[in-house]
Amino acid sequence: MNSFKIALLGLLWMTLLFSCDSAAETISPGDKNNMIIEFDQYVGNEKLVLNSKTYKNTAGEDFTISTLNFFVSNIALKKSDGTEVTFPDQYFLVRQADAASLKLTLKDVPAADYTSVRYTIGVDSLKSVSDLSQRKGVLDPASYGNDNMYWSWNSGYIFFKIEGSSPLSSDPAKVFMYHVGGYGGYTGKTPNNLRTITADFGGNTATVRKDISPTVHIITDAGQVFSAGLRISTTSMIHSPAAAKPVADGYVNMFKVDHVHNDKHDHKE
Amino acid sequence: MFKHKKVLISLCISAYLAISAFQISNIQRTFFKPEIPSNFPPPVYELKANPLTEEGIELGRTLFYDPILSSDGSTSCGSCHQQFAAFAHQDHPMSHGVDNQFGRRNALPLFNLLFSKTFFWDGGVHSLDFSPLNALENEVELNEQLDNVLKKLNDSEEYRDKFKKAFGVSEITSKVFLQSLTQFMATLVSANSRYDKFIRNEGGLLTAEEKEGLELFEQKCSSCHATGLFTDGSFRNNGVPNNYRFDKGREEITLNASDRGKYKVPSLRNIEFTAPYMHDGSISSLEKVLDHYTSGVEQSATLDPLLKQNNQPGLAITDPEKKKIIAFLMTLSDREFITDKRFSEPELFLNTPKPNEKNHSHTNNR
Repeated sequence: MNSFKIALLGLLWMTLLFSCDSAAETISPGDKNNMIIEFDQYVGNEKLVLNSKTYKNTAGEDFTISTLNFFVSNIALKKSDGTEVTFPDQYFLVRQADAASLKLTLKDVPAADYTSVRYTIGVDSLKSVSDLSQRKGVLDPASYGNDNMYWSWNSGYIFFKIEGSSPLSSDPAKVFMYHVGGYGGYTGKTPNNLRTITADFGGNTATVRKDISPTVHIITDAGQVFSAGLRISTTSMIHSPAAAKPVADGYVNMFKVDHVHNDKHDHKE
Repeated sequence: MFKHKKVLISLCISAYLAISAFQISNIQRTFFKPEIPSNFPPPVYELKANPLTEEGIELGRTLFYDPILSSDGSTSCGSCHQQFAAFAHQDHPMSHGVDNQFGRRNALPLFNLLFSKTFFWDGGVHSLDFSPLNALENEVELNEQLDNVLKKLNDSEEYRDKFKKAFGVSEITSKVFLQSLTQFMATLVSANSRYDKFIRNEGGLLTAEEKEGLELFEQKCSSCHATGLFTDGSFRNNGVPNNYRFDKGREEITLNASDRGKYKVPSLRNIEFTAPYMHDGSISSLEKVLDHYTSGVEQSATLDPLLKQNNQPGLAITDPEKKKIIAFLMTLSDREFITDKRFSEPELFLNTPKPNEKNHSHTNNR
C-alpha cells in the first residue's frame, strides 16, 4: 500500500466518521427546534379543491365542499422512549381557504426522536368556558368574520365545520352544513364531541435536532366525515351538539400520517 | 466611576419605567365598587377579572344605547331593553330587531346580572361577558358580527379615545368591548323597592294586605322565586302551553328531552313594569299570570312537580289570595332603579331618530 492509498483510506474513514457523527448527532441538553405539522387535504384519493370539484361519499352521494375548518389543540408528541411532550395552551384553526393555516408550527420542541402525535379536534372544555382574557388569537370570537366558528346562543366553539352542496340535499338551496360543537356542558351535561386523534408516524421518526426541524405530513380525508353513516340525503343541516355526533364519529377516521421530512433547517431566527 | 455610571443609568431607567407605569395605571380612572345588597346572595361574576371603573361603565352605557351595534344602525341594546320597563321590552310579547323582524322569546329584563349563573331563557350563555354576543349576532336582533362592530368602533376616533381612557388600550378588541358592556350591566343593581326597605329595616312599610301577600307568596311561590333575587336560577316547565315546534326551551341547550319546555325562572322584581309575561310574552297581566297557575297549567311530561298537587296540574290559590299576592308583588317595584339617570340613554343619542323606535313613546322614561 502506498502512501497515496493510505491517505485516501484515511480520508474515506474521516468522511465516514464525520457523516456518521452528523447523522447520529448528539443531543445537548436544551437543544430544540420547531416542528411543523402540515395537513394535506384530500377527499378519498383526490386533492381537496373548494367549490369546483365534485366528490362521491361512500353511499355514492355527489357533493362539493365550500368550507372545511377545524380546531386543533392539546397537541402531544410521543418520543421513541415512550415519554410525551405536551403543548398546552396552543390552539390552531385549520381553514382550507387559508393555505397558511394548514401548517401548524410547534415552537421550541425539545430535540428527540418522535414517533407519533396526538391532538384534539376542538377546543377543550376548560378553554371553552374561560374568561375573556384567554380568548386570544383563533379563540377570539371576533376573528372569524363571515366564517363563524363560535356559537353565541349556546356559548362554545364550533370545533369542526364542513359545508358544501349536493343535488341530494333536502335543503331548497341544495347545500349541506355540518357544524360540530359541544364540550360536555357547563351548567348541565350536554353531548361531548371533543375527539382525540392519535396519528402514528408508521415506523418513521421525526428527529428534532438543534439544526433539524421536521415536517410531519398528515393526510386528511374529508370523505371520512360520512364514515359513521351520515348521509346528505337524510341530513343536510347539523347545528347542534347532539345531532353532530355522527359527524365527529366520522371525522375521527380522517387523519393519517403520510410521511415525515427531517429537513436540516434551522427554523429559528 | 464606570460602575457608578452604570448604576446611575439603571437607576434612571427604572425611575423612568416606574413613572411611565404610574402614568399608564394612572390614566385618570376612578374605580367603582358596586354595592352588594345585604339581602342578596354573593355575586357570581368575577369582578377581579374586570374591575369596574367610572370610565368603563360610562363607555358601556354609551355602547348599550348606540345603534352602531346593529347591522343597519337601527337598533341598540336599549331598543329592546328599556329602562322604564326595568330593561325589558314593554308591551312586546316578542321584540323586534333590524328590519322589524320579530324574535321568538320575550326580552328578559336586565338587572342584578352580577348574581346570575346563566343568561337568557334557556341558559345557553354562562358568562355575563358573552351575553351581548347572542343579541349582537342574532339575525332578528342586531344582526351584526363582532369583528364588524369592532371595525366600526376602531374607525371612530371618539370611541378609540373612550376606550383608551377606560382601558388604556389603543386598539378596541373583543375583550375590552365586551368588558365595557359588562361594566355597565354590572351596575344595573335593583334592590331599593319598598319591600327591600322593609326587609332591611330601612323604614319601608308594608300594608296589612301586602304582608299577607308576602306570607302567601312564601307559601306558594318562593320555592322557585327564591332568595332576595326572587329566582333560584333553575330551569322549569311552568305549564305555559307550548307545542315545542318552534321552541323547546332548555332542551335546545342540554339536548336532553327531560329539559323540554323548561325556561329559567325569572326574577319577580320590577314585575309591575315588565309585562307581558312568560318566555313567549303570552300573558298580558299579573291577574292572568295567577289564573294561569291555578287553572291554565298544561300537563306534560316535563311539567315541574311543584306545579302539581294531588296529581292535578296547577296551584290552589283563591281569588282573594291572588289579590293579596299581587299587592305584595307591587312592593317589588324599584322606582329608583327605573329612573336612575346613571342608567339612562346618554344625551348624545337623544336627538338621533331611530327608525325602529319611531312608533314608540319614551315619555315615561323621562
